[in-house]
Amino acid sequence: MAEPAYTVASDSETTGEEKTYTLPEIAIGIDIGTSQCSIAVWNGSRVELLKNTRNQKIMRSYVTFKDDIPSGGVSSQLSHEGELLSGATVFNMKRLIGRVDTDPVVHASKNLPFLVQTLDIGVRPFIAALVNNMWRSTTPEEVLAIFLVELRALAEAQLKRPIRNVVLTIPVSFSRFQLTRIERACAMAGLHVLRLMPEPTAVALLYAQHQQQASHENMGSGSEKIALIFNMGAGYCDVAVTATAGGVSQIKALARSTIGGEDLLQNMMRHLLPDSENIFKSHGVKEIESMALLRVATQDAIHRLSSDNNVQVDVDLGNGVKISKVVDREEFEEVNRSVFEKCESLIIQCLQDARVEVEDVNDVIIVGGCSYIPRVKNLVTNICKVKELYKGMNPLEAAVCGAAVEGAVASGINDPFGNLDLLTIQATPLAIGIRADGNNFVPVIPRNTTMPARKELVFTTVHDNQTEALILVYEGEGNKAEENHLLGYFKIMGIPAAPKGVPEINVCMDIDAANVLRVLAGVVMPGSRQPAVPVMEVRMPTVEDGHGWCAEALNRNYGATLDLVTIQKKA
Amino acid sequence: MDALLLSSFQCLPWLSSTKQQRHYSHMHLSCRATKVECESNFYKVLSVSPKSATMDEIKRAYRSMALQYHPDVCHDPSMKEESNRMFVQLNAAYETLSNPMLRQQYDSQLGLSVSHDYSETSLRSLWEEEQHQVVVELKTRSRRRMEQKANRMRAPTRRKDRN
Repeated sequence: MAEPAYTVASDSETTGEEKTYTLPEIAIGIDIGTSQCSIAVWNGSRVELLKNTRNQKIMRSYVTFKDDIPSGGVSSQLSHEGELLSGATVFNMKRLIGRVDTDPVVHASKNLPFLVQTLDIGVRPFIAALVNNMWRSTTPEEVLAIFLVELRALAEAQLKRPIRNVVLTIPVSFSRFQLTRIERACAMAGLHVLRLMPEPTAVALLYAQHQQQASHENMGSGSEKIALIFNMGAGYCDVAVTATAGGVSQIKALARSTIGGEDLLQNMMRHLLPDSENIFKSHGVKEIESMALLRVATQDAIHRLSSDNNVQVDVDLGNGVKISKVVDREEFEEVNRSVFEKCESLIIQCLQDARVEVEDVNDVIIVGGCSYIPRVKNLVTNICKVKELYKGMNPLEAAVCGAAVEGAVASGINDPFGNLDLLTIQATPLAIGIRADGNNFVPVIPRNTTMPARKELVFTTVHDNQTEALILVYEGEGNKAEENHLLGYFKIMGIPAAPKGVPEINVCMDIDAANVLRVLAGVVMPGSRQPAVPVMEVRMPTVEDGHGWCAEALNRNYGATLDLVTIQKKA
Repeated sequence: MDALLLSSFQCLPWLSSTKQQRHYSHMHLSCRATKVECESNFYKVLSVSPKSATMDEIKRAYRSMALQYHPDVCHDPSMKEESNRMFVQLNAAYETLSNPMLRQQYDSQLGLSVSHDYSETSLRSLWEEEQHQVVVELKTRSRRRMEQKANRMRAPTRRKDRN
């Protein structure tokens, strides 16, 4: 192990698919979960999950830093629980990647048994592992790259070929900035991202394949089927409604949230030890060990509550703090009531957005680690008014299998039996728009727009003789601009002098099938057919971390002098 | 002016199956392609009958077209951008025609579209101009593919401009 654990193959973001177009190499599917990861490939006739040397298909997503060489959960021989106690093990990075230290999700990660330090100024948090009594700093990208290197080595050893192209599953709620961080991690691991697929849409593709195979067997025409997919893992909860027929899965709506098993766990830890945050605040070696012990005991209790009605929790956290308590399932559900309510509202919202009545849903699919929790199962079946959930999918493997199928489809692999005559028609998970009409967020491409998409809106100036306008591009669902993620900005110059409301500023957004976003803006004066100044085209995101600062600085320097308003459409 | 309007999708051979009259010359280029001109092709885009197409037929047409023209099934990198464009158009047609209310609105608009004012200039028309060359290329390729599939499609015929 003399070679470095990873190499930086490319510092730039991925540049598109054209560069790697050679002979079809089957891209592999990777599911990097908040707590677990897996890897799968289309083997010519079906999806095969690859196992590590310990014969595991589902591996833990963590990295332990030791001396010089970090090792991840893919290759590590030691038990995860044991390694947690030392503070040298870093995990849950999928929750932290691409987030700034003002983000509530980052704050919720501060009682993990390693260091997550926040300064609350809108920069990336400081993350470190305790190695030989020293805090060794790391980044979520680095940690993900370490697993990816291990997963790649595992696949290369088993498939006996170099691996470059991958399809990765991602949470629906990832912002475009977070996607660039995932791409960066892949680039560090020498992997090229063919597709970043929202997890429930990967499941939808697998479902489309099932339906296609079933309709082949029955020789039936295969009428349209509506499926609701509920995916809840450790870090995120997503819902998708998809319409499937003839191998085409059309995503009708997506709903997303950053709640997951981690929240259930933290609520439960707080319930067992109400003052835990203060007790662990100092992050000393002893505290880290106590935090890890509490975490392991609580996690174990939650797992057992999936089958038992009550469990005994006995743990000695050291320093005289002992927990000995019986917890029953009702208590667990009460402590996490808000999490479950959020899950319910996501399903209702997704059905509404898809304009689908509950009665029209043919199949309800529930996947992810939390699908084993009885309360989660119940809430899904209750809202969807079904007795039975869809069978035939392993809840922990469905997403990675879907990614592997997409890998084969996107690599242009043909299957003689038509098992790969599939297509997912994706929809945008978040709205993209600009700041206009004061401090409002005006979506140009609304949420759940079919991709590839191209939409335009016309804006105009707010001041007489306004010659410049600032285009601030945001992604999100908030009504106010600052509630959303700033993706980038640019200034239009040289607007011909005219009374306010006269120049037409055309803002167009284009998302191609590779999910690349381009923003175009042009100025047209009434009576003219030609743009008054050259059209500007900007590929986004352009903003690096610290986007909170950017927006504030722009606001401070320019105020409302370069504002725009929407033009009210004549009926 | 000799308004030779081009909607980048109108000229594709798979659109020419329905017998719609009142056609503009499709081999010519103009930056004045208008919204109405694009929209007047929604039924053609999906190759369904304006009068009798049922929701089911529209859905089926959309899916089969998607399987042929979605950029994900296009593995020639040089054609990616064009298949993007085509799919966006396919979607626009589907979104309108698969929504009964929008379809009704659109149908009545179709009846009025002759008298519509062509002054609207948009960025879209500028791109269409840029894209003219590639569209012609794509057309050729697409036609070849459809011929291979040996069905209803015919090579496009040049029609006289009505002006």
